[in-house]
Amino acid sequence: MRFLWIVVVVLCLAGQAQAHAGDQGFVLLLPTDIYIWSGVASVVLTVILLAVLPDRAGAALFRPVRLWRWHGSGLRHWTSGGAALFLVLLVWAGLYGSRDPLVNPLPLVVWTVWWVILVSLQGVVMDHWRWTNPFTGPGALMAHLTGERAPLRYPRALGYAPGMVGFVAFAGFLLADIAPADPARLAVVVGLYWLISLAGLCLFGPRWLVRAECVTMLMRSFARMAIVGRHRGRLALGLPGWQLLARRPMPMGGAIFALLLLAVGSFDGLNETFWWLGVLGLNPLEFPGRSAVVGPTLAGLCLSVAGLLLIFVACTWLGLIMAQARGRLALAVRVFAPAILPIALGYHIAHYITSFLVDGQYALAALSDPLNQGADLLGLGQYSVSTGFLNVAGQVRAIWLTQAGAVVIGHVIAIILAHVLALRLVADARGAVLSQVPLAVFMVGYTFFGLWLLAAPRGF
Amino acid sequence: MIKTAKTFSRRATLTGIAAGAATLPLWARYTNAQTAEPLKLGFQVHRTGIGSAYGRWYGRTTDAAVKVINDAGGINGRMVEVIAEDDGTDPRRGAEVLEKFANQHGCELAFGTLFSHVVIGSAPRAGELKLPYFVVSEGHHVASGMLNRYTLQPGITDVKSQVKAMAPYVANNLGKKVTMIFPDFAFGHDHRDFFTAAIEEQGGEVLEQIAIPPAETSFTKYFPKIPRETEVVYHVMVGPAVLTFVKELGEFFGPSRPAMFGFIDSLEAVDLASSGLEFLEGTYFWEGMCRDVQPDQSEHDKFYRAAVGVDARGASVSDPSDMSTYGHMFGCWETLHVIKDGMEAAGYAGPGDRSKLIEAVEAMSALPESRAHPQGDKIFNGKTHQVFGHQNISRVENGKLVRVHRTSIEDTLYPDQVDYTTQPF
Repeated sequence: MRFLWIVVVVLCLAGQAQAHAGDQGFVLLLPTDIYIWSGVASVVLTVILLAVLPDRAGAALFRPVRLWRWHGSGLRHWTSGGAALFLVLLVWAGLYGSRDPLVNPLPLVVWTVWWVILVSLQGVVMDHWRWTNPFTGPGALMAHLTGERAPLRYPRALGYAPGMVGFVAFAGFLLADIAPADPARLAVVVGLYWLISLAGLCLFGPRWLVRAECVTMLMRSFARMAIVGRHRGRLALGLPGWQLLARRPMPMGGAIFALLLLAVGSFDGLNETFWWLGVLGLNPLEFPGRSAVVGPTLAGLCLSVAGLLLIFVACTWLGLIMAQARGRLALAVRVFAPAILPIALGYHIAHYITSFLVDGQYALAALSDPLNQGADLLGLGQYSVSTGFLNVAGQVRAIWLTQAGAVVIGHVIAIILAHVLALRLVADARGAVLSQVPLAVFMVGYTFFGLWLLAAPRGF
Repeated sequence: MIKTAKTFSRRATLTGIAAGAATLPLWARYTNAQTAEPLKLGFQVHRTGIGSAYGRWYGRTTDAAVKVINDAGGINGRMVEVIAEDDGTDPRRGAEVLEKFANQHGCELAFGTLFSHVVIGSAPRAGELKLPYFVVSEGHHVASGMLNRYTLQPGITDVKSQVKAMAPYVANNLGKKVTMIFPDFAFGHDHRDFFTAAIEEQGGEVLEQIAIPPAETSFTKYFPKIPRETEVVYHVMVGPAVLTFVKELGEFFGPSRPAMFGFIDSLEAVDLASSGLEFLEGTYFWEGMCRDVQPDQSEHDKFYRAAVGVDARGASVSDPSDMSTYGHMFGCWETLHVIKDGMEAAGYAGPGDRSKLIEAVEAMSALPESRAHPQGDKIFNGKTHQVFGHQNISRVENGKLVRVHRTSIEDTLYPDQVDYTTQPF
């Protein structure tokens, strides 16, 4: 935890350096150069400390605090059934409700409540997806009603590939589709995806969910970063990452999926910058709309995925050579790739804080009046969504520093995690440190990239 | 239980799921297949994309105008229902949205688009669909003749007339030697061309035209190009770096500087009293409608502000830090009132009367200042489908915009470039 405090203090000090006056305009007035280098310095400091501190120091940070006995609850099929019912209602609202994506509850629940809030909570707090997924409840009901087991075996040869392809397709829809928030369009996509996944679950059993259903795969990956979890029959709390260390290394598919999360998260942000629009030869002040960049966006997404996988594997390989531990590349990738999950989570939180603060208000208003008929179920009264805070210098700075904090903390945890994992993989301490050098350089570079993304001017 | 198991075989359940999946795309077809009792107006709104900040206030103004119209009995006795569709500030999506209005939602017309590229991308489709398309864009594309008879702009003036009307005041009060700083693309080029011609008509001259590359985020290196004898700097920067531009310009000149004139477009939705913008004190801005209440505030402005929920500074009444896009958003309010008057004059009953509606609006000329036109009286030119009105020049005093000049409508007029009424429906 000491490292986290260092980061927080450094960022706070940097934050007092200068004060200035909406959103992007005010961000460009912030002394972001100082903030960026402070963040990078925090991560470098972590690397140095880990090299000089005793080996046990890192692992000790991740020792969970065990609380009371807990066997889980038998209610999860019921809550999952409830989530499924809610999803059906949302799809219905998407088809028949308001056409306005900021009034209709479907896009707001999918893109704000689920993609921003629930995914973040899954990674930071606990694995709620066990209770909130819309698949296992209906699956259990079907098994109960039919009394039959899944008739087909999930083809082993497919491995995690369907889930990976599914996730990249999801990212393509999110980033490249011309209207991913259109209620009717989204209703068809969400409805069809839910039905197909349910059919897969019925045909192939639960293995379908963990290998082919990308949303469950996403949620299970981030769950390993959660503070709250189960440890030897007890509820336990620990520094994000403790659950990863408490389990066996992920299979190769899970490890690559973790890298996909970071690659997609990085491109989701890069694609808005003046820099990327410049690469595409577009005028950043006159963004022509998503329809003009569907192909380049998909190409950029695929390049980001391929590029990150290559760089990561190269860094791991180089580290093994430096530690003179060749021949264990596959195991090393499986061990180290999950260590980047906190970075992916930090990016996710940082990238979506602003849209959470604005669209969260619309989501609240929509849930209070789901049919857009003037209802006030949540007692909000006369409610006007405000974005005023994006035009006040102090508040913009607070938001930016929170974003930067999420990115830096994600990297600091990733570095410590990778160090602890290295000590497990490479027996001697010196070898472990050496094996981490290329990955540490990669992560320091990624810190700079992440903070630069937050500070960079965006075209849309 | 065993009986139940037989009743719901897995195969039957899977077949059910497959059938459900197959029909899902069809559900959308029945969306809004309700009675045509209310009058449905399609609101093409920038909910996402680069125009979303404007879209939010265009939405609030539209809601307020519709409430006022419905409270007074609607249009031809029918309540108005707004169907809002997000165009993503994207021309292709914009054209799709118009199609949905016409073919899926049963809308009588479409209105509300601001960004020029969406208007230019959507208007041809409006023409093909024979759907009246009322834009609120400021662009000169309507009056330039590049669109069609179905596209009209009766609620907001165009940039050519705005820029032209600024020249007399600038030349007579701020100075005749002007340096222009503008972003190096179509928007900036329009300002460059329109203003250079207009100031020369007034006996002034543009000493230097400084075009800034659009991707630029630091401007200090361009300022030494400003000639020493410059009396007025005319700036129309837009985009995220506009605050940086203002700050750096302030640092460059220090206390002794030429007069500064700009368009509020750069700083819509930004509180000019924000820290870091002190340099703007004493500078001049074009405003379509004055965001700060003026001493001679009309009863109509008072009514409009209260209806939309905007305070005396132009901010939301529910959040004083939430500054509106006051200089532009009245366009939605006034457009909806023109649609109302047009439909009533045409005796509009349904889509069969769309061409009558356009003819009725084309027949309009003087639009007196009223609750329907709180920005001021206007003249609609039926041939060019463009409205003309008064423009305001305001000076920043203690972080507020105080009007120092209101142009005549005549100042804003220019010769017709098209006669849409000669085009067949």
